[in-house]
Amino acid sequence: MKSSGFMSQMGPIAVRMEGVSKSFGPVSALVQFGLEVRRGRTLCLLGPSGCGKTTALRLIAGFERPDAGMVEINGRRVADSVTAIPPERRRVGMVFQDYALFPHLSVRDNVAYGIRSDPDRHVRVSEVLELVGLQGAAERMPHQLSGGMQQRVAVARALAPRPEVILLDEPFSNLDQALRTHLRVEVREILRRAEATAVFVTHDQQEALTIGDDVCVMSRGRVEQCASPEIVYAEPANPFVAGFVGVANLVHAESAGGVADTRFGPVRLIGPLTGQPVGRALVVLRPEHFETREAPDGPAGADHWRIVDRRFAGAEMLFEVQSEDGLRLWCEAGPQVRRLTIGDSVRLALRDVETVAFAMGTQPAVPPELEAVPLSESVSSPRH
Amino acid sequence: MSRKAPPLRLLLPVLVISGLAALPLVYLVVRALEVDQGSLNVAFGPRTVELLAASLGLALTVAAGSIALGVPLAWLTARTDLPGRRAWTILTAVPLAIPSYVMAFAFIAAFGPRGAMSGLLQAVGLPGLPSAYGFAGAALVLTLSTYPYVLLATRAALLRFDPQLEEAGRTLGDSPLTTFRRVTWPLILPVVIGGALLAALYALSDFGAVAILQFDSFARAIYIQYRASFDRSLAAMLALMLVGLTFVLAWMELRIRTRRPPVQYAPRRPPVPIRLGRWRLPALILCAAVTTLSLLIPAATIAFWLIRGVAQGEPVRILLDSAANSMAAGTLAAIVAGTLALPLAFLLVRYPGRLAAAAEGVSQSAYAVPGIVVALATVFFVLNVAPVVYQTLFVLVLAYAIRFLPQATAPARASLAMVGPRLTEAARTLGDSPSMAFRSITLPLLRPGLVAGMALVFLTTVKELPLTLLLGPTGFETLATAIWGAATEGFFARAAAPAAMLMAISAITVGVLFRSEEPVR
Repeated sequence: MKSSGFMSQMGPIAVRMEGVSKSFGPVSALVQFGLEVRRGRTLCLLGPSGCGKTTALRLIAGFERPDAGMVEINGRRVADSVTAIPPERRRVGMVFQDYALFPHLSVRDNVAYGIRSDPDRHVRVSEVLELVGLQGAAERMPHQLSGGMQQRVAVARALAPRPEVILLDEPFSNLDQALRTHLRVEVREILRRAEATAVFVTHDQQEALTIGDDVCVMSRGRVEQCASPEIVYAEPANPFVAGFVGVANLVHAESAGGVADTRFGPVRLIGPLTGQPVGRALVVLRPEHFETREAPDGPAGADHWRIVDRRFAGAEMLFEVQSEDGLRLWCEAGPQVRRLTIGDSVRLALRDVETVAFAMGTQPAVPPELEAVPLSESVSSPRH
Repeated sequence: MSRKAPPLRLLLPVLVISGLAALPLVYLVVRALEVDQGSLNVAFGPRTVELLAASLGLALTVAAGSIALGVPLAWLTARTDLPGRRAWTILTAVPLAIPSYVMAFAFIAAFGPRGAMSGLLQAVGLPGLPSAYGFAGAALVLTLSTYPYVLLATRAALLRFDPQLEEAGRTLGDSPLTTFRRVTWPLILPVVIGGALLAALYALSDFGAVAILQFDSFARAIYIQYRASFDRSLAAMLALMLVGLTFVLAWMELRIRTRRPPVQYAPRRPPVPIRLGRWRLPALILCAAVTTLSLLIPAATIAFWLIRGVAQGEPVRILLDSAANSMAAGTLAAIVAGTLALPLAFLLVRYPGRLAAAAEGVSQSAYAVPGIVVALATVFFVLNVAPVVYQTLFVLVLAYAIRFLPQATAPARASLAMVGPRLTEAARTLGDSPSMAFRSITLPLLRPGLVAGMALVFLTTVKELPLTLLLGPTGFETLATAIWGAATEGFFARAAAPAAMLMAISAITVGVLFRSEEPVR
């Protein structure tokens, strides 16, 4: 597990998984998996579908039992090779993908479900309903609510018994884009105000970067990197993370003493290769690392690129460009060049940036879509 | 869908079928209206109240019993790590294929005064069992025959149930059992009650088991009244009351079945089987006990008396004759029902509308009416209108076919709905006449469904008791009447062979049915 040191500097550990393996028949869902969640923080498990992130969540909840390894919640061993505390005695709250509101119970009764023996349950129900902004909907039935409201009821219901950790399993995947973006912010605020410890599973990198205090990027049942969103983006641990979180161009370079020599000029390096001796490396260059300028039609030079694709996303715009020698990359298109279209020429200049590089020949877990491209060429991996 | 009026060549047969299906009931009403004052007093007298109480009491007990057996078995086979789940799933559903009168016969042949088990108990010096006859016996036998209705419905509901709802209950602090009570149970309750109503309906309509076990429910009283007295209006009155009762239950069942739940989920992943832990043994004991009572003891009892019968030299020829009669009647009924189902299925699929719905409704209500009532009404009608055909094979087969028509129509209709009119239109553009297109396109595609439906009609006909008993030609003995006759008179050894034979024929037919269910590709 590649865990950045900064995490250990904060608060006690609320959830800990260590060396957890879990297979379903021939399929390995988790392999020697581990994570730590600090109290009061939200950890996002991010990865493509089938990477094992939901299995990790269900192991914390107690719906699955690990084949090996152990799970602890606030220092209490809840699962290992001999222990199997059932879900109802783990004090976890869960928000499900399909909300899983009880269709035969009103909003109030749904929220009160887990605290029926609490003498102050009426107060608590009002409290959490206010927290999620649904004071007026207490008497309604789930099917009378919109998708977003149902989701908030699900959060309120999970929070009501004051769980030690709240688990959210792709809670926004059934909602439309606009509502997702809105609820994302709202749920983050709710979790923060409730001072809840949360584990949030998603395959949406935007969601993960917005909601998580920390992000664990997973693939094929393993942790690729666990760090703050900023670190995961700025200092990806390997090419998979670089390509999965944000758009990354992997460009060939010769690295020496903390500087990589690319076709765009020298780049200052941060991260593991800084102290390494001279060697061939792949440098991560983000679209925003480039400044894109219009190039007058004329004799093609080494810094001459042709636009082959455009991607407009409102606030920002990306061009996919191709060089004379066939190299393709994604670069940011500033306001001055946005009117350019496919077929137009541009010039790229590297801004003054620091980035990471990976030594060649010792590449771990390159995502399949990158493997298809010969590594002698530069590769890029656009994503949304 | 076409909104054209159906052609006459379709309309005419459907009208005739509907008329035939409706006639006995209509005639029953007419006869009941002729009732004189004396009989009317009897019909609404204390005896009827007694019958009503007995019948309803039986139906309610059977409904409750089928829930008590069906729901735990459904949960165990659908949701837990019960050892041998697949085997138990099949074994616990099998009693549905055993006619209730065979179960009743096996029951008295085991636990009755001269039964195999009673003899065994006496031999080891234990006191005798409580009487197998009467309410307790009837309730037990009918519960064992009908709990699969609740079991199958509940199982299907549990398999459709979103496991996330139960997982939510677990994370909110409930044990599996509490979660079941607070979340699952309220949501599957309509399905459970629907299944229990079917069981109650069965108990109310059942003739064979109550007659063999000598329990005075409506069905048995109607038969006795019909046999004993010349005042058949009274029998008609009682029959109508029973019809009213069954229609109320059938209506309730339909309402529950057609009312949509507010939220429908499709499970994303199969639920994690619940670990039974120390409950594993009690669960296995429950499954084993139910299977022992509903399958093992009947099978062992029939085998016991079969061996005795062979040893005593029971005549084999009578057995073969009645088996041949059963097969012949069943085959004829299947052919006639299959033929009659075609126009009805065509009307329903190609010309849906009020007329089609009405024709379907009539056909299905004839199916819902207790067999003893249909039999009685048909006897009355034939005797008065066409006494020449009374107790002929013709009337018997026609009565079977009309009564079991929905069994043939439903699969034929489903197959036809998948054929679609475009296929025959394509054949027409390729040069086929309408009848050639029907023969070369529609019929082959329709065949699997039609064959399945006909096999089902065959199976039900072979097991049918009251129609055969009342409408069969004199001396026309089938396996069903042979079992009934011998069982009511206490000749257990004589009933065992036809019972075994009937079960064998049923098993083979069910096997054929399952094979024909495999999709044609």
